[in-house]
Amino acid sequence: MAKLLIVDDEADVREFAANFFRRRKIDVFTAGNGEEAINIAEGQKPNLILLDIKMEGVDGIQVLERIRQKDSSVKVIMVTGTKPEENETFAKCLQLGATNYIHKPLQLDELEKIVLKELN
Amino acid sequence: MPEIFLKTNYFFNPHAIPICLVGLFILIGGVFLRLRKRNSLLTLSFLFICLSVSLWLLATTMGVSSKNIEIASFWFKLDNFGVMFISVSILFFTKAVLGIKKYKAITAGYIIAFILGIIALRTKWLVVGAKEHFWGLFPSWGFLSIPVLVLFFGYMGTSFFILFENYLKGNLTPLKKNQIRYIIIAYLIGYTGSVDFLPTFNIEIYPFGYISIFLYLSIIAYTTVRYSLMDIKVALTRTGIFIIIYTLILGSPFALALTYRDWLIGILGPNWWIAPLGLMAILATAGPFIYIYIERKAEERLLKEQRRYQNVLKQAAMGMTRIRDLNRLLNLIAHIVTKTVRISYVGIYLYNKDTEEFVLQVSRDKDRVPIPKVALDNPLVFWLDHKREPLIYEEVKRQAQELHDPASSYAHLEEIMRTLTASVVIPSFLEDKFMGFIVLGDKLSGQIYTPEDLNVFQVLASQAALAIENAQFYAETQEMQSQIAQAEKMATIGTMADGLSHQINNRFYALSLIAEDTVDTIKTTDLTKCTPEMKEMIKHITHALDRIQSNVMQGGEVVKGILKYTRKGVEGLMPITLDQILDGTLEMVQYKVKLSEIDIIRNYEKDIPKIKGNLTQLQEVFFNFIDNAYDAIVERRSTLKEEGYRGKITVSAQPKDTKLEILVEDNGIGVKDADEKKLFTPFFTTKTSTRKGTGLGLYVIKKLITDAHKGKIIFESAYKVGTRFIVELPIAV
Repeated sequence: MAKLLIVDDEADVREFAANFFRRRKIDVFTAGNGEEAINIAEGQKPNLILLDIKMEGVDGIQVLERIRQKDSSVKVIMVTGTKPEENETFAKCLQLGATNYIHKPLQLDELEKIVLKELN
Repeated sequence: MPEIFLKTNYFFNPHAIPICLVGLFILIGGVFLRLRKRNSLLTLSFLFICLSVSLWLLATTMGVSSKNIEIASFWFKLDNFGVMFISVSILFFTKAVLGIKKYKAITAGYIIAFILGIIALRTKWLVVGAKEHFWGLFPSWGFLSIPVLVLFFGYMGTSFFILFENYLKGNLTPLKKNQIRYIIIAYLIGYTGSVDFLPTFNIEIYPFGYISIFLYLSIIAYTTVRYSLMDIKVALTRTGIFIIIYTLILGSPFALALTYRDWLIGILGPNWWIAPLGLMAILATAGPFIYIYIERKAEERLLKEQRRYQNVLKQAAMGMTRIRDLNRLLNLIAHIVTKTVRISYVGIYLYNKDTEEFVLQVSRDKDRVPIPKVALDNPLVFWLDHKREPLIYEEVKRQAQELHDPASSYAHLEEIMRTLTASVVIPSFLEDKFMGFIVLGDKLSGQIYTPEDLNVFQVLASQAALAIENAQFYAETQEMQSQIAQAEKMATIGTMADGLSHQINNRFYALSLIAEDTVDTIKTTDLTKCTPEMKEMIKHITHALDRIQSNVMQGGEVVKGILKYTRKGVEGLMPITLDQILDGTLEMVQYKVKLSEIDIIRNYEKDIPKIKGNLTQLQEVFFNFIDNAYDAIVERRSTLKEEGYRGKITVSAQPKDTKLEILVEDNGIGVKDADEKKLFTPFFTTKTSTRKGTGLGLYVIKKLITDAHKGKIIFESAYKVGTRFIVELPIAV
């Protein structure tokens, strides 16, 4: 079974997104902050991580860096709430090995498409 | 004939002294006034009166002092020569005062008088001889007295008649009315001097005519000082009082010596002269004190009224600079001036630099419709600017009358001042700037404006200029500050918007996930075992969740729009296309404006050159244009209610030299009296609706275009047609 790690500081987001993907027979883990994310990533070795860029007091990009350091095979999709004028951020994420970039709010079926694509 | 010059033919007649003095006084008075004002018919006619009267009195003096009848008769004939001209000259003076320029009767009168006078001199038809009365010799008259008396009283009657006629006509200034009133009184009293005719017909009455003349002269003098009769400004000077007092002081001993010499000799013997000398000494010592006392009393009484309001005005002038509210200030000035000085009308006109005319700000008037505006090219303005002095209506009118030219500048000035109901116009200058002027109507008391009055008003005017400048500056600053505060608020919202929108987006994201996942849960659940009611309920719930999702997505779009609108733009100028500007503008504006209600037409070639500009600022500018255009369209739709009206905004552009000329036109309601200058001032708004722009206002827009982009902006509008903004921006090279 594919393993998915959802990292987001919003509890509702974690709950309902996890719900959704579990119904699609994916093993979903959740983390509410950077530390948790890094630990679970190390421990559970998920295939795909949905990583929120802006979390309370934690820079998502740093989390990306550290996860990739520990395991360079994991795929990470960055999730952001703002427009990609921050081209540098996008470039940096790509540099650090992020697979893609998606924006909130996102329709669930689109999210499904992207996630399923990466997991297969 | 040489006997006339023989001293022995004369005796010292005390009755002659007062006659002689009055005769001299009136002669000096007439000449003095004539010298004060040489080119006036008034002073000329008055001089004629004085010459005739003084001739009469002085010749009478000699006559009553004569010892024998022959010589006395000669003098009396001479005195009657003078008498002939009195009434005619009085008519002359009367007509001059009233401004009646018909001289036929006067010329005829002088001719008749001359003829009668010559006859009287050379024959015995008038003066048949002289008779002894208790006061001395006096003429006896013969049959020529009849035509003489007809001439005399006929002309007198005419003078009174036209005086009363004009007085009752009612279209005179209060000043004029006062002058005429006093002249009538003076004449009435003066003509009681006709009592001098009686002894000539053997009626034993003391000829106290000289007293009447003295009173007449005093009243004329008073009217000259108080009411500017003959347009001569005689101020009650200290010199005047000094002369009067010292004449009395030095004169009385002499009069004493002359009149009562024999009596004194009788009492004191050969050293009789001690008495007059002693009197002189006493009076000379007491003189200064008498002088000071009288002077103070006189000034107090005559100038009491004036001193009172002059003080009030001075205080007001100093307190004025503390008032910041322009309207309050002007009203205060008008109030003080009308109440304190008791004027019939006050109007304050201020210069408006945008419309380049003087506008009536405040007025206090009694049933008059004031003139609201005075243009810059008005001769009144020109004159005031040139002379920088108060302008006095009576003076201007006098000048206009004497020039006899209806096209002269004085005639124009007179007309303007009349329509403004101005008795005085006082200009107000702040350094070199002509700030405005104050129009004062007549004083309710009918008195003239004295030089002191004008002085005080000028002080008031210059203080007012300062105070007004202050108030205007203050008002402008306040408006500026409120605009800056508004801009700051917008900037704050801008910075907040970033953080806020992020948070809002998070909420939407969570909502979206929750709704979608729930729908998904329902979809993937086996419902076959549900009752139809449950299936129905689930259908409703699913639908509701779909609606929630849809709303959430819309919310997300709104937030995106806000972000775009309040983002901090990049500084500096870059090459950008008009399409870029308009695209961004339309994206921003769609949240304020129902774009479906109007047509927005882009009317320019695809290959128009790029503009050197700041995208954020220009999007702001065009946002404003479209927002204003939309408001104009909405207003037109709601006020004019035209069938099939569709709002349209057209943006066209074409290159013009090194600039791109862009037009933004709408077919909205347009602006009445489109005045470009007014539009871009901080205060101006045509928006009748309560929708105030969230943009920065046309004032700041203008600054963005002209200062930041070095471009031009022109506004054109026509009521019920539409509005057009023409913007020129430099092409990017």
